[in-house]
Amino acid sequence: MGLGKYIARRAIYMVPLIIGISIVAFLVMYAAGDPIQLATAGNPSITEAQRNALREYYGLNDPIPMQYVRWLDHFVHADFGKSLYGGRPVNEIISTLFWETIKLQLVSILLAFLISLPAGIYSALKQRSATDYTISSIAIFGISVPVFWLGIVLILVFSFQLGWLPSAGAHGAPYLWPVFGIRNETLDELVHLVLPATVLTLAGLAYNVRLLRAGMLDVLRQDYIMAARASGISERKILYKYALKNAITPLITLLGISIGYMIAGAPITETVFSWPGLGRAYVAATLRLDFPLIMGITMIITIMILVANLITDMAYAWIDPRISIE
Amino acid sequence: MNILDVQNLKTHFFTEAGVVKALEDISFTVEKGCTVGLVGESGSGKSVTAQSVLRIVPKPGKIIGGKILFDGEDLLAKKEDDMRKFRGKKISLIFQDPTSSLNPLFAIGDQLADIVIQHDRVKKDQALEQVIKTLKVARLPDPEQSLGQYPHQFSGGMKQRICIARALLLNPQLLFADEPTTNLDVTIQAQIITLLKDLQRDLGMTLVMITHDMGIVAEMCKCVVVLYAGHVMESGDIETIFEKPHPYTEALLKAVPRLDQTRKLTSIPGNIPNLIDPPSGCVFHPRCQYAINICMEKVPPLEDVGGSHFITCHRWRELQGGR
Repeated sequence: MGLGKYIARRAIYMVPLIIGISIVAFLVMYAAGDPIQLATAGNPSITEAQRNALREYYGLNDPIPMQYVRWLDHFVHADFGKSLYGGRPVNEIISTLFWETIKLQLVSILLAFLISLPAGIYSALKQRSATDYTISSIAIFGISVPVFWLGIVLILVFSFQLGWLPSAGAHGAPYLWPVFGIRNETLDELVHLVLPATVLTLAGLAYNVRLLRAGMLDVLRQDYIMAARASGISERKILYKYALKNAITPLITLLGISIGYMIAGAPITETVFSWPGLGRAYVAATLRLDFPLIMGITMIITIMILVANLITDMAYAWIDPRISIE
Repeated sequence: MNILDVQNLKTHFFTEAGVVKALEDISFTVEKGCTVGLVGESGSGKSVTAQSVLRIVPKPGKIIGGKILFDGEDLLAKKEDDMRKFRGKKISLIFQDPTSSLNPLFAIGDQLADIVIQHDRVKKDQALEQVIKTLKVARLPDPEQSLGQYPHQFSGGMKQRICIARALLLNPQLLFADEPTTNLDVTIQAQIITLLKDLQRDLGMTLVMITHDMGIVAEMCKCVVVLYAGHVMESGDIETIFEKPHPYTEALLKAVPRLDQTRKLTSIPGNIPNLIDPPSGCVFHPRCQYAINICMEKVPPLEDVGGSHFITCHRWRELQGGR
C-alpha cells in the first residue's frame, strides 16, 4: 500500500474520532455551568432579563444538540466562532498565540531530546558510576519536582534576586529588555525563553534520559550486540550504530507524544511565566467558560495529537523493518 | 599441533548475590584442523569458555586467571584493540539462537558487510561481494536477493545459515559453535550439522562444538572436553572417553536414549550446584554414585592418565579395575 493511500485512510479514521471528542467536550463544557451567570454574578446592576437577553444573543438558550450542530457547521468551515469575551474571532486568537506556544515547546522538546542522548547513553554505559548517579538524580528531580514550584524558584532567583532574566512574557514589549546592553528583538526573545524553556526541558529530559538509559541497558544485553562484538566490530560502531537504533525506538514514541501534547502540556508553565501562549489562554478560557475558545483550543489539541500519532507510527515503520504501516 | 591451549582459565561473575564461579579451573587443548566437542549440562560453563577465549564475557563477568594460547600467542596478554582484530577474523563464534543474534533493525547485507569492512578496510561493494560468496558457502538460497532483507524475513534455519556465514566471512582458523542447533527444528538440525561437518572438512577449519547432545558429539567430534560446574571433568579422544568414561561422563551417556538398546534411561540425580557456593572437594561429588569421603574433602587434580586422556577424579583408576 502506498504511503499516500495509508495517510488518506488514517485521515478518514480521524473524522469520527474528532467528532466524538468534540461531542464529549461540548457536553462536559455545558455541564460545567453557565458563562453568562459566571460573568455577571458579581454585578448587582444586571437583571435576570438582561442575562437572558445575553444568552439569547449568544444562542445559549437553544437546545444543546442544536447548538452543537451550529458549532459543527462552523467548524467544518474552519471557523471557531467568536470569543464570549471581547468578541474577537477564536481563529485569530489561536493563530496569534499558537506560535508562541510552539516556539517554547519545540525548543524544550528538542533540547530535552538532544541532551538526553549523551546523558542516557553515558549513564547506561557507566552504570552505577558517580556520573550515572548524578544524571539519574537530576532526572528523578526533574520528574518529581512540580513545574510550578521550579518555575517560581527560578523566577525568584534569576529574576528577583539576580535580575538577570525576565520573569514574564515572551517579548520585552513595550520596552526591549537590554541584553549585554544590546537591544535586539531576537536576543530579547531568546532571553525570555530561557526560564520557561529550562523548566519544560528539565521535566521532559527526565523521562527521556530514564527511557534511553533503560533501553540502552536492555539492548546492550542482547545477543546481537555480543555477536557484533564477537565479529570484531568496534565498540563505537556497536554503540552508535547497532545499539542506539534499537534503544531509541521508545524515545521516538515519547517524542511523538510530546509533540502531540505540546499545547495541552504547557498551561501550568505558561501561567507561571505569563507566557502569551495557548496553554495559558486555555486555562483562562476554562475558568471563564468561554465556550467558543475552549472548543477551539480543544480541537487544535485533538488534531495535533492525532497527527502526531500518525507521524509516530510512520517513524516507527521507518526505523523498524518488522513494523509495516499496512 | 595445538591451535588452542587453555590453561587454568578462571572466569567469575561478580553479581550482587555473590561471586558466581562460572569457570574455576579450565584446561584443555584443541588440535589444529580437529573437531572438538565441549560437553556439559546447562550452566557447566561451555558458553562462558567460548566467550572467555574471545574475551567477550559480558559484565559483570571477568576473566581473573589463566592463560589462553592461540597459535602460541597469549590472548589474555593482548591489548583490547589487538584482541578485537582476532574476533571474527581468526576466531569466530556461532550463537545458539540465530533469531536473537541477528540485529533486527539492519539488513543482512549491511550487518555482514560491516564485519568485512571493519577488518579488511575495503569498499562496501567489495565487502558485499565477500558476503555473497560466504552466504553461498553457507548454502543460503538466493544470496544476492537476501542482502537487502531483514532477519525477520527468514526462517530459523535460514537465519542460522546467515549466522554461520557471518562467522565464516573472513576464513577464521578457529570456529566455536555454541549449541548451533538447539533452537531449530529436528529436520533443520540435521541440515545444519551436515553443513558444519562439510565446512569443517572443506575449509580445514578447527571447530569447537559446544553441545549437550552426545549424539552430535559421536557424529562430529574427534575429541571431547567434558565440563561440569566450571571444571574440566575429563578430556580425550572420543573412543577412549566412551570406553573408559569419568563417572560424570558415564552418567551423561546413560541419559542418552538409544534405539539399539533396551536399557532404562537414567537421569543424573540432583541439579548442577550453586556456583556462588560450590560443593567442597570434587564439585561433582553430591551427584556422583561412586563418591566416598575423599571426594568431599579434596579437590581432585586434572591428571594425565595416558593416551592424551585427562581425568579429574579420585576414584577413576580404581573404578577401571572393577568394571
